[in-house]
Amino acid sequence: MERQEILDTMNLVMTNKGREPITEEAVATRDANFRSLDFSEVALRIETKLGRELTFDAAAMRNIETVKDVLDFFEKATA
Amino acid sequence: MPDVAHSNAITFPDGQANWAALLATGDARLGAPDRFDGQRVVFVVDTMQEAFGAIIYGLTHGLDYGVVERHRVSPEVAGRFAENHVTLFDWAGARVMGDAQDAGDMLEPGRVTVLTSGTTGLLKLIPHSWETLNTFDRVAELPENTWFLPYQIGSYAWFQMVALGLFKPGQNLICGDFNDLAASFEAALRTGQITAISSTPTFWRHALMNIDFDLIRSAPLTSISMGGEIVDQAILDELGGIFPAARIRHIYASSEAGAAIVVTDGKAGFDVKLTDPSRAIGVKVEENRLYIRSPYSNKADAAGWVDTGDIVERRGDRFLFCGRAGNTMINVGGQKAFPPDIEAYLNAHPNVLWSQVTARRAPLMGNLPVAKVVLTKDADKATAERDLTEYCSKGLAEYAVPRMWEFLDSIPMRASLKS
Repeated sequence: MERQEILDTMNLVMTNKGREPITEEAVATRDANFRSLDFSEVALRIETKLGRELTFDAAAMRNIETVKDVLDFFEKATA
Repeated sequence: MPDVAHSNAITFPDGQANWAALLATGDARLGAPDRFDGQRVVFVVDTMQEAFGAIIYGLTHGLDYGVVERHRVSPEVAGRFAENHVTLFDWAGARVMGDAQDAGDMLEPGRVTVLTSGTTGLLKLIPHSWETLNTFDRVAELPENTWFLPYQIGSYAWFQMVALGLFKPGQNLICGDFNDLAASFEAALRTGQITAISSTPTFWRHALMNIDFDLIRSAPLTSISMGGEIVDQAILDELGGIFPAARIRHIYASSEAGAAIVVTDGKAGFDVKLTDPSRAIGVKVEENRLYIRSPYSNKADAAGWVDTGDIVERRGDRFLFCGRAGNTMINVGGQKAFPPDIEAYLNAHPNVLWSQVTARRAPLMGNLPVAKVVLTKDADKATAERDLTEYCSKGLAEYAVPRMWEFLDSIPMRASLKS
C-alpha cells in the first residue's frame, strides 16, 4: 500500500476521534496522540481495504516509536 | 389441565376459525387418534392454520406430539427426529413421512415437543407439556385482547401465545405470515383490532423502519410484551413514547427455564428484589450467572434450579443482562468490553435504530469492537461514523468505542425475530 494511503488511514482514525491530523513523520506517536488502539484500528482498516488478513512482525511492532515507524511498518506488511 | 377456550377466534392469512372448528377439521382429516398409538409424533405442516389444527388435535387426544414447518425438515433434521424416536406425519396428506418410529418406553403421552435452533442453528427438541407451557394459569383475569402472533411455528414463544389463545377466554389471535411478516403486521394493524402484541426488540425496530409510523402510532395497543433477546432502555422508552397508554413489559423466558421474570416498571434489566428467596419463581445470581427455579421449566438440578447460561451484572438496584456465558465479552488488550452495554448506549442515540457489536481480531490489542448499525434516516456514512465515534467517546471507555462501522440498509432479523 502506498505510504500516503496509509497516512490518510491514520488521519481518518485521528479526525474521527476529534484529534488533529498528523503532518510530520518524525513526530513520536505519543506526541501525536496516536495510541495503541489507534494502531490496531489502522491495521483493521488496511486489512478491510485489502480484503485479506495481514501478518505482522511482533518484534517490529514493539519497536515503533514515531509516525515514520508506523508508516514503514504498514508499508512492509502490505508489500 | 384447564378447559380450552373453544370460542376464541384465530385469524389466519387466509381466513378465520375457532378452536372448535379447527378440532372438527383435524378429526375429519386424521380420524381416530389410535393410529398414533405408541408413537411420538411431530406433525409436518405448511401453514399456520394447519399448525393450529395439529395443536388442538394433539391436545384433545392426549398425544405425545409437536409441530414443525415443512421447509425446516431437511434430511439432517429428519434424521434428528428419527434419533429421538419421532414419527414425522404429513398433516395435509394425512400420512406418515418416511418410516414410522416405535417410541417404545420413550413414549410420554401429554408431552409437547418444542423446537429451538438456539444460537448454533442445530435443531433441538425441548420436552414440555401444556402444564409447563401455559404460564398464564396464574393470571386470574385478563382483559379481552386481540394479539398479533409474529412467532415461528413450533418455537417456545409461539407455544406461549398458542397456550394463551387456547386456555384464556377472550384472547383472540391474528397470525402473522412469515412470507412477509412486515406486510402481514401492517395488514393486521390496518384492521384496527390489534390490542396486544408479544415480540422482540428487533421485531419492533424492524416494524418502525418498514411500516408507516402514523399507522403504528394509531394502533389501539394496551399490552406490549417483549422478550427473546436483551430489551434495552432505548426501545422501552421509544415504545413508551409511541404508546403512552399501553402496559409495556419485558419477559425473561427460555425454552428450558420457561417464562420466569416479568418486568413492568419500564426499565431495562430487573429489580434485585426479584432475587428474594421467598418468591414463588426463584431467581438467583451466582458469579454473575442467572439461575431460575420455575414450575414452567422443563429441566432443573436436584434443588430445582435451571442454569440459564445468561450473564447479568448488578448496577445499583438492578440486574442488567450482559449476554450469554462465554460469549459476552470482548477482550481489548486486557480490558473487558461488553457488546450489550455498547449496543444499549448506541441504541439510545436518536439516529440509531438498531446496532450489533462484535469482536474483530486485531494486532496489538487482540480484539477490537466493531459495529453494524441501521440509522433512522439516510446519512452520509463518513459523517455518521464520525458522529457515532464522538458520541461513544463521550459515554464509553476508550477501549469500548467501536473502531469500524458498517451501515446496513435494513435490520437482519432471523426467523426467531432476533438479530
